[in-house]
Amino acid sequence: MPCERKPMRYGHSEGHTDVCFDDTGKYIVTCGSDGDVRIWESLDDDDPKSINVGEKAYSLALKNGKLVTAASNNTVQIHTFPEGDPDGILTRFTTNATHITYNSSGSRVAAGSSDFMVKVVEMYDSSQQKTLRGHTAPILSVTFDPKDEFLASASCDGSVAVWKIEEQTQVTSWPLLQKSNDVINAKSLCRLAWQPKAAKLLAVPVETTVQLYQRDSWAQVGTLSDDLGTQAINVVAWSPCGKFLAAGSIGGLLTVWDVESKLCVERQTHEKGYTVCGLAWHPSGGQIAYTDTEGCLGVLDGLSSSSSSSSTTTSSTMTKAPASYDDLFDDDDDRPLDEGISEGARSPAKNPGDEDDDDDLIPATGRARNRSAFLDDENSLDTGSLKQGLDKFVDDVGSAIVLPAAVAAPLRPVYDGPMPTPPQKAFQPGSTPAHLMHRFMMWNSVGIVRGYNDDQDNAIDVEFHDTAVHHAMHLTNSLGHTVADLSQEAVLLACPGTDELASKLQCLHFSSWDTNKEWMVDLPKGEDVQALCLGQGWAAAATSALMLRLFSIGGMQRELFSLPGPVVCIAGHGEQLLVVYHRGTGFDGEQALGVQLLQFGQKRRQVIHGEPLPLSRKSHLSWLGFTAEGTPCFIDSEGVVRLLNRSLGNMWTPVCNTRDNCKGKSDHYWVVGVHENPQQLRCIPCKGSRYPPTLPRPAVAVLPFKLPLCQTTTEKGQMEEQYWRSVLLHNHYGFLSSSGYEIDEEGQSQAQKEQQELLMKMFALSCKLEREFRSVELAELMTQNVVTLAIRYASRSGRMALAQRLSDLALEKANQLQGEEPQEEEEEPLQYTRRNTGSGLGRSGSAGGQNRVTNVLDSMMSSSKKPTALLSSSGSTGKLNKTPFLKPLAPRPKTKVQHNSVYVRHKSGFQLWLEDNRRIILADNPDLEETDVIKEAIGRFRTLSADDRSVAVLDILIPVRQAPTTIPRSKPLKSFVLPIHSLNSTHTQSMSQLSLPLHLHHVSNSFHGGPSLCGFLFDPCT
Amino acid sequence: MDPSEVEFLAEKEVVKIIPNFSLDKIYLIGGDLGPFNPGLPVDVPVWLALNLKQRQKCRIVPPEWMDVEKLEEIRELERKEDTFTPVPSPYYMELTKLLLNHASDNIPKADEIRTLVKDIWDTRIAKLRLSADSFISQQEAHAKLDNLTLMEINTTRSFLLDTLNCMYKLRSNLQPGSSGGKSQDHQ
Repeated sequence: MPCERKPMRYGHSEGHTDVCFDDTGKYIVTCGSDGDVRIWESLDDDDPKSINVGEKAYSLALKNGKLVTAASNNTVQIHTFPEGDPDGILTRFTTNATHITYNSSGSRVAAGSSDFMVKVVEMYDSSQQKTLRGHTAPILSVTFDPKDEFLASASCDGSVAVWKIEEQTQVTSWPLLQKSNDVINAKSLCRLAWQPKAAKLLAVPVETTVQLYQRDSWAQVGTLSDDLGTQAINVVAWSPCGKFLAAGSIGGLLTVWDVESKLCVERQTHEKGYTVCGLAWHPSGGQIAYTDTEGCLGVLDGLSSSSSSSSTTTSSTMTKAPASYDDLFDDDDDRPLDEGISEGARSPAKNPGDEDDDDDLIPATGRARNRSAFLDDENSLDTGSLKQGLDKFVDDVGSAIVLPAAVAAPLRPVYDGPMPTPPQKAFQPGSTPAHLMHRFMMWNSVGIVRGYNDDQDNAIDVEFHDTAVHHAMHLTNSLGHTVADLSQEAVLLACPGTDELASKLQCLHFSSWDTNKEWMVDLPKGEDVQALCLGQGWAAAATSALMLRLFSIGGMQRELFSLPGPVVCIAGHGEQLLVVYHRGTGFDGEQALGVQLLQFGQKRRQVIHGEPLPLSRKSHLSWLGFTAEGTPCFIDSEGVVRLLNRSLGNMWTPVCNTRDNCKGKSDHYWVVGVHENPQQLRCIPCKGSRYPPTLPRPAVAVLPFKLPLCQTTTEKGQMEEQYWRSVLLHNHYGFLSSSGYEIDEEGQSQAQKEQQELLMKMFALSCKLEREFRSVELAELMTQNVVTLAIRYASRSGRMALAQRLSDLALEKANQLQGEEPQEEEEEPLQYTRRNTGSGLGRSGSAGGQNRVTNVLDSMMSSSKKPTALLSSSGSTGKLNKTPFLKPLAPRPKTKVQHNSVYVRHKSGFQLWLEDNRRIILADNPDLEETDVIKEAIGRFRTLSADDRSVAVLDILIPVRQAPTTIPRSKPLKSFVLPIHSLNSTHTQSMSQLSLPLHLHHVSNSFHGGPSLCGFLFDPCT
Repeated sequence: MDPSEVEFLAEKEVVKIIPNFSLDKIYLIGGDLGPFNPGLPVDVPVWLALNLKQRQKCRIVPPEWMDVEKLEEIRELERKEDTFTPVPSPYYMELTKLLLNHASDNIPKADEIRTLVKDIWDTRIAKLRLSADSFISQQEAHAKLDNLTLMEINTTRSFLLDTLNCMYKLRSNLQPGSSGGKSQDHQ
């Protein structure tokens, strides 16, 4: 019996729904938690008639042109059908009715309520009521015996009872269900169904099976089960002929059994795995309509009862199971019930009813939870026990019945390999889902676009964070725009095409200087805009025809190109366009997404050529965009923020996990913007949902970045994290300057300084931990000048081997730098990558590079007097003079030196030493107060030997003394070296050990016009 | 002290605003404020918040306690306890008045909040009167009242002091005349 599952469509807002057909089968009638009853002519009916029956509608029933609904105002109302006029109130309860149903003739209505009562009311005289009391918890469902003698009801107290209507007495009761305190907490809605026509069987959904009870004997005569059904069955419905039984489960599985043969003849799953809470057969039996707890309506078409070859004569012995088997089944009943409890603890309670008062809020976890539970085969614990139960049943009853051999075997071959993931739909980053009535169509760093689509109004509000950009706008949304983007220049809107109208792209170009501030483009027939974005001076739209169309901001059509797959979303910034699309089908909850990064402007090129987008496991993309500085960035549904690392071959580096900051499990952060400087992740905390509601207006919070490095609780880990975060988040300077933008040089030098300071701290730390190899590794990342500082630190702390290695390193660096210089001009565009690789070649040719090190080496700067004058007067080669190093230094050292030279005369040795070593002390103990620094310094100074002290002081004094005289380079500096030789020999030894490499280093340094440390190092040998 | 002076002090309290303009840090005697980024919450003193609000330069984010549920809780507690309960802010009355008068459009359920705060205020003032009454009737020399806000002290101070003065005068006039006057009170 093959059938066709039609795609689901939006029927009501999220929450409990119910569905039925009218008598003729012409209409599908649904009700939902939005309080509306909708009358659909077919599934494709785009304009269903709506009747509002209250704030919420819990259940409905329809017969003879009278529509009965259970609404939240505790009444059961009648409306005429199909006109929808109110026709009085049938009955009232003290709380809301949970389920209502007609009898077969339509003369009576039974209603079960949360106040534990069941009422049977005559349709034509509502004063004739029969009340059935006996349940001790809210009623889950009611059903009439087609012969109008009995009524069955299920309740949250765990019992299913059969009543004699006339006598208002309970005939029998079975403890079949798990107890709960309210309908919304019940595991299953347990919609009972009595076999129509023959009226022999009562179907009761119990856990994952449907149990069949026989009329009059009230004995269980059969169980319908399905191996694939791992979740509790919510609703059952008999086909009008009474031969088939359809069931819908919590996990979205729809099953149809042939009742006589107990064979599963049809099995379909809900396309998203949502809980099925409403199920109805078409009066002809060829169609099943079903609704889910998310408010969607679906139809299974093409079921034909006549095609069932397995239908045999109705005289099956099965229905005559003797009453003496009762005891056996009672035993049977207890066991699954216990298991049910244990399973109930695991599978979350479903809220079939009014889950959420707020229309705008989406139950955050419902979807994921359902899907995963559905896909997770290992979770299906009950299958075995069910089979066992079934076998037992077969053993017991088998003597009487000849069952087909394939009872337990599934009808179709079961594929149990990895399941393909439904591809995620195209979305607009920074928007909330399109089915909401009040939604954010866009929230980005420029402003907010809100869409309203309710009864009174279909409008779009545009609001700018900075009112200086433009004033707020209110537009009527007559075209039905669903996607929007917003930039400093324009608002871009697009609507999907309809049968008559083509998909349109509308642009409000408010920054235009002419009077015509709007343009609109029709897309070719059959092509819909799925995603769009704005850049600087351009707009892009990705369409359903796998095409990406570029427009200028003024409305000129520009390039267009094909996308390799269905688009997921696109984002623009400046001249960059980021496209994410489906590369293929993902399996087991994973998405297979690809990403392209294109650059327009003068140098048009593709930066990322369709590489896979690295999402977290079993997650989907939830935000895509650029940081304010222009670095591509994306966030997946697990909350992991990843940033493009341009210096690492355009790889993606995780920089933050927003879920780490969440308090509750179902809380999320909805990101609205990422900034690299200052390091901020701007997002909206959403309690218990993934999206914020439009009202009350959500407030933006700021999250910090944190690289997921190991052991960030230790000092070392923290500093490493800080360093690499700083390196990563300042990559954009290189990118911006290479693509010709102005950059904040002060910020850049600040960042470089911070990085070098961190390196120095880490260096000091690893020295302290006796990790000399690691220290050298760190020194490799340092700039040349900081290496000198590191050399000093090493030599002061008596690590001569380390100092030696470092000076080799410094020499190497200097050589590299020199060799590099001529190339640099040619390599301009790639410069940023090199500078930021942290390979230690950090001193590139820009003036900014020079500035940044000055702060690190204040002491050295101050002592080097007029290095420029020195060099220029020495008339060094023309090539060197050209380098930009020469320029920016002049004013600052001068003032400093003057200041310094005045003080030098009055300073004690210690003061000089302190001045020189303050930075090292600070690096070691970053949190010291000024007085503590001095104390610490005194301590250290004392530990130095007398010789060391004089060296230390000399080290500083000599250059200062030398400084005022400008010395031609040709003149040997022996006179200044002499005083050193006059000191005792041990000291000279240590000096020579140190100073030899230093010579070379400083010479090379001064060649470049940089702040040269010591004139005395100008050795004749160089 | 004048109520307006208390209000002036209350204006130094910090409140969050969401500016709709961009401005670098501003350096004031009382401390640095900002930087102001459009759309990003920033802490500023109430006086600045109100000024900006009046110029339509920002939206004010109501303080956390200015929430119907929290205030209801406080009100219930205040009614239940005989003593004064701690208030959410030492300037709750002034802030409520200032914010609701100038920025009621940014505060959800402004009317309910106004009523609730007024309820809390009334309850506390009633308690204050009651304790003043028992203070006087028992002729105590001193009393200790915790958790009183500046505004509350202010409303009762001048009247209470004047009254005590007056009564002191009356008593001291009474006492020299007849020492039995006091014993008559007790009879």
